[in-house]
Amino acid sequence: MSFRPFYFLRESLISFKKNWVISIAAITTVALSLLVIGFFMLVAFTINSWMKMTEQKVEIVAFLVEGIPAESIEALQSEIMSWPEVKRVVYVSKEEALERLKKEFKDSDIISMVEENLLPVSLEISLKDPQKADTVYNRLKGRPEIDDIRHDRKMVERLLALTRTARWIGIVFASLLAFASLVLIANAIRLAIYARRKEVAIMRLVGASNWFIRWPFLLEGILQGLIGALVAILLLYVVQVAVVERIKEVLVFLPIGSSHQEFFRLVIGLLVTGIAMGAAGSTMALRRYLRV
Amino acid sequence: MIELKNVTMVYKGAHRPALRDINVEIGRGEFVFLVGPSGCGKSTFIRLLLREIIPTKGEVIVAGHNVVNLRRWRVSQLRRNIGCVFQDYKLLPNKTAYENVAFALEVIGKPNRIIKAQVPEVLRLVGLEDKANSYPDELSGGEQQRVSIARAFVNRPAIILADEPTGNLDPATSSDIMTLLSKINRTGTTILVATHDREMVDNMRKRVLALEEGVLVRDQLRGVYGFEE
Repeated sequence: MSFRPFYFLRESLISFKKNWVISIAAITTVALSLLVIGFFMLVAFTINSWMKMTEQKVEIVAFLVEGIPAESIEALQSEIMSWPEVKRVVYVSKEEALERLKKEFKDSDIISMVEENLLPVSLEISLKDPQKADTVYNRLKGRPEIDDIRHDRKMVERLLALTRTARWIGIVFASLLAFASLVLIANAIRLAIYARRKEVAIMRLVGASNWFIRWPFLLEGILQGLIGALVAILLLYVVQVAVVERIKEVLVFLPIGSSHQEFFRLVIGLLVTGIAMGAAGSTMALRRYLRV
Repeated sequence: MIELKNVTMVYKGAHRPALRDINVEIGRGEFVFLVGPSGCGKSTFIRLLLREIIPTKGEVIVAGHNVVNLRRWRVSQLRRNIGCVFQDYKLLPNKTAYENVAFALEVIGKPNRIIKAQVPEVLRLVGLEDKANSYPDELSGGEQQRVSIARAFVNRPAIILADEPTGNLDPATSSDIMTLLSKINRTGTTILVATHDREMVDNMRKRVLALEEGVLVRDQLRGVYGFEE
């Protein structure tokens, strides 16, 4: 028995037109749930890029003891550089430290009150993998050349916690809405089956195969899921272009939203999810109401 | 072509069986009446052949298939070998006579060129070539039943089952319908007609199976209706 896509598609569209109210309700909920999923994905992308930004920043700063000879500094620098976790070690002299401070506080006169440069010499260490910060930190601790160590672990941890919270809220909302969408799709398909019960009865009688009877209903559900996904993508695109890009122009230094690549992946993901939801919803209805 | 061996059918929750220990064989090309008062088990008999229900006990063999242990996906194959005609015609109101007949071929995946060849031919056979584009509500009862017979026969099934095909028709039209069924029977199609139309059975003098309270009480060649009313 041949699969006849155009025949099935035509049947689905006819049925779709017949109960368009309930179909639109199903599509709306699909769109809503995918919109929520997509929105939280965008938030996650943003937090992700923040994390990347912090990770690129110096992770560990080792302040060296006062009056340490230049040879010791060089020796320490090349030793740290040889550790596998370390990406880069930058030496910051007293003068450079002061320069930075001046830049940071250029609008205030605190700096002018400083008479002697008491700022310590430091080594700024960036890591290949921020997760290894503790290892490096522990290895540096207790070295006689080092006076104090600071590392930005806290910031990364906070961002990770934020991502986790955002993810959970997203998952809860999205699953609730996804469940509602499934029920609505199933309901739409149930009505479609009911509207065509005579045809289905005759199809059975003359020996149409089970799949021949099921396909139009399955396609109808998939169509609803697909349209819902397209609506959600369109809305997200509008948000991306109209809102995110605008904010970006204002807050140049803060990366928000997603890259084109990420957005593209999001689009594909939402399309697949929409189709899967449609298929699952109509399968639910077919199992219950179309015993063949 | 059709064989029932020791078939008993008890519906869920029913006290007495709808059919009790039925043994009967119907050969290829036979024309058989299934008679009896309402509630005697005629419909159960037909539903068993279509495998809409599975017997509580016994074997049902239709067109070479043992219906009882037929895989679910094979049921549709079985039904392609059986044409069905009902008292209420079961035509789709939003399709023309032609489309109703074509529908039966479309949904079993027949290619268009076969549909275009077979549908007009079968409409000619039932005498409705002029009404091909009429909708069911524009047709008389007898004409609607002809469309339904055309639909049952268009795929050239080995068997046609007719459940009270003349129940809604006046005697003259009924006899036209029976003539049509005989005509189809002469092409080698096995025909089983469930009916309580006494006059028709008595006139046709075909084989008669009589059911009473689920029991096969009579199997008579060239028989008559027989029940007192």
